Amino acid sequence: LQKKLMKFLRSMTFGMILLGLILLCSFPGSVIAQGNTPDWYVQTYPDWHGVILKLGLDDVFGSWYFITLLALLCLNLTLCSLIRIRNVVKASKKAAASAAERRTKVFLTAEGTARLRQLLEERHYKKEVFEETTVYSRNAIGWYGSFVTHLAILLTVLFGAAALYLPRVTDQTCFPGQSLPMEDGASIAVESFQIENGEGKLDYASVIEIRLPDGRTSGQQRISVNHPLSFGGYKVYQQTYGTAGAVTVRNTQTGGEDFFILNEMCFLSLDGINGIWFEALYPGYIRDESGNFTLITQTSGSYEDPVYQVLLASEGVYTPVMVFPGETLSVGGVDFTFENPVEYPGLRIKRTPEAVNVMLFSAFGLMILGLWFCFFQPPAIVAVREEGYTVAGPKPQGLILELTALLESEIRNEESLC
Amino acid sequence: MLNGLFFAALIAYFVATVLELGGMVFKKEKITRLAWWLFVAGAICNTVYLIARGFIAGRLPLSNQFEFSTAFAWGVAVMLLGLQVKSKAQWIRAAAMPMAFLILSYAALQPREITELMPALKSAWFGLHIGSAVFSYASFVLAGCGGLRWLLQEKKLSNVQLVQLDYLCYRLVALGFLLLTIVILSGAIWAEQAWSAFWTWDPKETWALITWILYAIYLHLRMRKKMSGKIMAWFVVISVPVVLFTFVGVNTLLPGLHSYG
Repeated sequence: LQKKLMKFLRSMTFGMILLGLILLCSFPGSVIAQGNTPDWYVQTYPDWHGVILKLGLDDVFGSWYFITLLALLCLNLTLCSLIRIRNVVKASKKAAASAAERRTKVFLTAEGTARLRQLLEERHYKKEVFEETTVYSRNAIGWYGSFVTHLAILLTVLFGAAALYLPRVTDQTCFPGQSLPMEDGASIAVESFQIENGEGKLDYASVIEIRLPDGRTSGQQRISVNHPLSFGGYKVYQQTYGTAGAVTVRNTQTGGEDFFILNEMCFLSLDGINGIWFEALYPGYIRDESGNFTLITQTSGSYEDPVYQVLLASEGVYTPVMVFPGETLSVGGVDFTFENPVEYPGLRIKRTPEAVNVMLFSAFGLMILGLWFCFFQPPAIVAVREEGYTVAGPKPQGLILELTALLESEIRNEESLC
Repeated sequence: MLNGLFFAALIAYFVATVLELGGMVFKKEKITRLAWWLFVAGAICNTVYLIARGFIAGRLPLSNQFEFSTAFAWGVAVMLLGLQVKSKAQWIRAAAMPMAFLILSYAALQPREITELMPALKSAWFGLHIGSAVFSYASFVLAGCGGLRWLLQEKKLSNVQLVQLDYLCYRLVALGFLLLTIVILSGAIWAEQAWSAFWTWDPKETWALITWILYAIYLHLRMRKKMSGKIMAWFVVISVPVVLFTFVGVNTLLPGLHSYG
């Protein structure tokens, strides 16, 4: 029973069943939105939410059954690769000898056979002599294509899973001139940030510097979409961006000054009664002929005509005010000078073992190489005797047909040879 | 001028399709020959159109549904021309010509204006990832055309012809599979550069994987189980809608990270 079980676990049939089941599970995973809250499914699928939540279709790719399928596929690939390498080595070693034992299929004249030998030698076929038969072979690497491909798929699944689950990823915002401290004592400083480039086109990019605890630094580097910065095990991505208000406050009595970033509602006051409530910052506005404002609430680029919405608090009276950058409001002994908005980046910081990525990329390369060997370097073997030849090889009948046709067409050019 | 080239290609593909089918039904070789040269003319217009659009846009014309479908139709046409060099195109062209026409017709329904490449698409992987997809899908579609021919003319073709047709389908699937693998792997590397994760189970990624698994099953059945003939012909024909869904359906029906494409 144990032997039968092992045989089944490493069989192609089992592999096919697993691939079929992964395919079936992937379908609902792509059609039903993944990773939302149960309430969302109740609202979105009033008739089906019970089935969806019970079967874990809200998180198919993280479900126990999907991970089990992947684990079984890894097991199947491991076992079948182990068996395959043994069989492939054996078959490739014996290929020429077993081709020599095959009966002649295409008969030629002596001259035709000589022409064939010449043709194969011109095409750099490897020559081996077995008594009366000469075996010409090519693309021996093709024997290993299937093994290399399966090994690469196994490595891709394993290191892909490691690359998916091992990294520690955090999303943080940081204003230019500030830096983000990391747990290990490293820090990531944002020197500057832009939403648009000099031509006014959307091109969000930051200039950052990674400083490691041992004193090494990355130097100031530009990051943008598709161009993260890797240094010292950190990888920093230009993920999102935002725009915040800024205000300079000055105490009219002491002359003391301070600078505040306004990225959420807040009350600024010296005595806790008189001051300003910052409510919102808008990207722009439209002013009609009668002087009424219509605020623009969204933009994808830089704020063209920014405008602050604040409440002026004075002796318990709140007055809504629109303020433009450069303007100053004086209340409660403080001058509030509203500055141009500050653009800031949202950074994604990823810590990942570099070795995992290196192994994963190697597996990718190996997979392409394996498939190339498999499909475009198929082993070709031609056993030639005095009376004619036979074509052999492990690949589909079509290849044998094609080779036979090729050899025939080459030789039949001189009809007398056949 | 640019639109003229596009519609010239579309009309050429259409007329070539009608003539090819007509020539086949009425067994008039002259008509099918004319159909072929019209198709070649269409392919030239398609090529010139893509090159001109690329020059105007200053980038590869592969950034949205219109550009991708135009390139997809071009991929089908170019591969068919390539097969003609090996004198195998006549086996599948009666099915492939309508496919090129239909794909280009789909392109005609999409907005055609040239837009600037969005920041997420400005990457060194753009050409390899999407270019491989064009030829991968084209290979699968042509394999499907071969399968269709096999099924429709099973009784008319000789055994050797059927084996050769079957083998052609296998070769096309093998090429498409290799290219689809490049699409998925280059996409994974690109995704890590852009979004920080190699794989996010985005609908497009998932459907590319579904397509990959489907053809992996085909190749295993073919190479290990030694299956060939009718079952394999049905397999490649039935798989074409999956390829087309991965291309069109996912972008239009399933929102995700690839929705711009």
